[in-house]
Amino acid sequence: MSALSFDRVTVRYGRVTVVDDVSLTVPDGEVVGLVGESGSGKSTLARAAVGLVAPASGAITLGGEPVPTRGRHRPVQMVFQDPYSSLDPRMSIGEIVAEALPRGGSRAERRAEVARLLELVHLDPTRAGALPARLSGGQRQRVALARALAARPEVVVADEITSALDVSIQGAVLNLVRELQRELGLSMLFISHNLAVVRYVASRVAVMQGGRIVEEGPTAQVLAEPAHDYTRELLAAVPGRNAP
Amino acid sequence: MTDAAVPTAVPTAGTDAPGGRWRGLLTSPVGVAASVLLLAVLVLALVGPTVWGARADAVDTSDLLAGPSSAHWAGTDNLGRDILARVLVATRLSVALSLLAITLAVVVGLVLGSLPFLLGGGRLARLVTAGVGVAVAFPGLLLALFFAVVFGVGATGAVLAIGFAGAPVFARLTQTLVAGVAARDYVAAAQVAGVGRLRVLLRHVLPNVAEPLVVNAAIGAGSALLSFSGLSFLGLGVQSPSYDWGRLLFDGIGVIYVNPAAALAPGLAVLLAGLAFNLFGESIAKTLGVPVVAGALRVPTRRSAAPGAAAAPTPAAAPGDDDLVLDVRDLEVSFAGPHGPVRAVRGVSFGVRRGEAVGIVGESGSGKSMTALAVSQLTGDDARVEASRLQVLGADLRAPAGPQVRRLLGTSLAMVFQDPMTSFNPTRRIGRQLAEVATTHLGMGRREALDRAADRLGSVRIDDPQRRVRQHPHEFSGGMRQRAMIGMGLMGQPALVVADEPTTALDVTVQQQVLDLLADVRAADDVALVLISHDVTVVGEVCDRVLVMYAGRVVEDLPASQLSTAAQHPYTRALVAAVPSMDTDLDRPLATIPGRPVDPAHVPDGCAYAARCPLATERCRVEDPELVTSATGGRVACWHAGEPLPATAVPAAEHDTLVEAP
Repeated sequence: MSALSFDRVTVRYGRVTVVDDVSLTVPDGEVVGLVGESGSGKSTLARAAVGLVAPASGAITLGGEPVPTRGRHRPVQMVFQDPYSSLDPRMSIGEIVAEALPRGGSRAERRAEVARLLELVHLDPTRAGALPARLSGGQRQRVALARALAARPEVVVADEITSALDVSIQGAVLNLVRELQRELGLSMLFISHNLAVVRYVASRVAVMQGGRIVEEGPTAQVLAEPAHDYTRELLAAVPGRNAP
Repeated sequence: MTDAAVPTAVPTAGTDAPGGRWRGLLTSPVGVAASVLLLAVLVLALVGPTVWGARADAVDTSDLLAGPSSAHWAGTDNLGRDILARVLVATRLSVALSLLAITLAVVVGLVLGSLPFLLGGGRLARLVTAGVGVAVAFPGLLLALFFAVVFGVGATGAVLAIGFAGAPVFARLTQTLVAGVAARDYVAAAQVAGVGRLRVLLRHVLPNVAEPLVVNAAIGAGSALLSFSGLSFLGLGVQSPSYDWGRLLFDGIGVIYVNPAAALAPGLAVLLAGLAFNLFGESIAKTLGVPVVAGALRVPTRRSAAPGAAAAPTPAAAPGDDDLVLDVRDLEVSFAGPHGPVRAVRGVSFGVRRGEAVGIVGESGSGKSMTALAVSQLTGDDARVEASRLQVLGADLRAPAGPQVRRLLGTSLAMVFQDPMTSFNPTRRIGRQLAEVATTHLGMGRREALDRAADRLGSVRIDDPQRRVRQHPHEFSGGMRQRAMIGMGLMGQPALVVADEPTTALDVTVQQQVLDLLADVRAADDVALVLISHDVTVVGEVCDRVLVMYAGRVVEDLPASQLSTAAQHPYTRALVAAVPSMDTDLDRPLATIPGRPVDPAHVPDGCAYAARCPLATERCRVEDPELVTSATGGRVACWHAGEPLPATAVPAAEHDTLVEAP
């Protein structure tokens, strides 16, 4: 495992600068929370990390080497926001997970690996033949996690993975994220707009606004003594804070 | 030449298994007729030459150019051959050549249409897209004639001509469909996993665009048949001694005054076969385009009194309830499902007083939104709404709304929806849309109404309202649109605001602004508020009272201040515990609610929550508890209300069984 680093990364869509000169490090084995409003560039940063968009300038490195964005070996994996659009409706969950496995191995070995991964995310491996339509939102998101883990990643980028889920299901997915991160020692970039969620899973937090990172530090410190106005605004907006 | 049918929706997640959807074809009369007709044409194409071949080629010089007779139903041609037999035999060549042409069109179209995706959107990809665009703009038949000249006169030339002329339409269709699927996250996920573009195209993209392509290919086959007959008729297609329907038509037209049947028989054959292909294509389009459930019978919208309540005349309000803005008793909302009615709301009763804020919380499918839609009369045509009382400001909503009731609802009931992107008409200026309320219901003039619109935008804290009223919705941000929506509700003198997940699509900071605004509106004019949300903390922050819904029923009704301290129902307590807050213990796993919400189509006997409830006993699984006054003064429907929950055993390695969705 090694650290994922963004070094002065800028991403443009046409003439619009979406990510503006961002430097951020996800240290080995830690979870970094990335918060900010929609349009602040956090999802674009995530897509840049996995090679779905190319930065206009700057470098994204993993352990000092550029993150590979071609070929089969992809050490940075991503889990998407909407589990209803991130699973191919025509493939069984077993096939979905198997597709991301590294090449090689016999059919039986691959099947065993798929079963292990499904088990890891607390899904019944005997149901690997089920289609995504048979699954609830929370279960789908767990399949998406298993797929990301299948590629044996060093870093996982989680882009708002609980915001499309009912609150009653959100908890189970967050528990799983924490459990997996601890068991496998994964590094994670955990994107969310909910500070209470980020506080629960991340050891460090970065706050993004208008394409720039305005504050970064250990979660406890940033939440207790926010240095930037926008961070304070976000903190004040957490529901339940000013409840009677 | 090929009329591309409207592409059916790209199949999305959540639809049934593909096999089940195709089977629906055989349930509609048109589908059955088209399938039978097409099957007949195909069988004829297979066996025609074997059965009638000899008869079709039998020259009989004693009976040239004869009219219809019992021996020759459609008469004979200039060599005395039986025309009907020739028409039947020609089926094979006509159908085979059209299928060949359409296959060519589809294959070339698929390749051209997929190229931009394979090339990854570079300059070359744009060039291909532009080239296809130019080709589509060219008239198909002209293109076919052009190709016919290029490839030479004859069957081969005609197949190539019709195939290539049809290709641009399919290329364009493929391009559009592929672009739609390529934007989906599962394609991105496959790319992130290192799957090559060609493999992504073959595994993820093409299977998901196959259905609309098949539909259009079927319809295209019909058009190809017509075009082919046209080319042959013009002498550019099949040449003697071979013959297809177009060729027979050409022969027949020359003797039409001697024997009309000689031209009519092949003409009729072209018509029937073309119809078979087209109808078949249309009926698969119809089958695949409609959701699975919709085959079922539809119950027309009915707003009626629940049985037993009909006799009681409905007074404006019962004595002592003068300040009830909203009064709902025994509300039932149901839909027609494939296995009988689906009850989305099952007997909900509550009242909202003037100036009171009531929250309704629950998971997806709990019936909370349906309750709100029933109140604002927006349930849609296929819903059946019943209640023993459903009153807003004393007006009975169960009867068909007269002009007075409509005016009352238009001015005193405001509705705020979840998605601010779709709640305004994108083509009209914001000011006009707000002003419409005032001109329709308050009888204001246009100028006056626009002024009021600007004033109302100002009151929902939109800066520079005079300029903003002249803008279109796309010039507003999500939060501003939601505020403008609230402003629209304030055009009249609202007594009740119903807000359905008004902040779910918004950022946290914007969410706070919208919630604050709702609170201000409420405080300023003593407006009652019904706030629907899946997030119990949002509701707890804004509301005085909270209704917790589960499986279409209210399971608890309690003051918001008691949510985290004195909730009685185990479900309410689980909902509150499941949301992480800024004080959640970081060393313990979050509380979760095991299992999944009840499907409204399959509500179990007894308490609907029993299967997920840690307190459930045998009684809960058999008897459904009534909503009764609880120990703390609220209302609760639970046999074990307020009992301490067992210490939360965290099911660490417990598997989640994949429950079969119905």
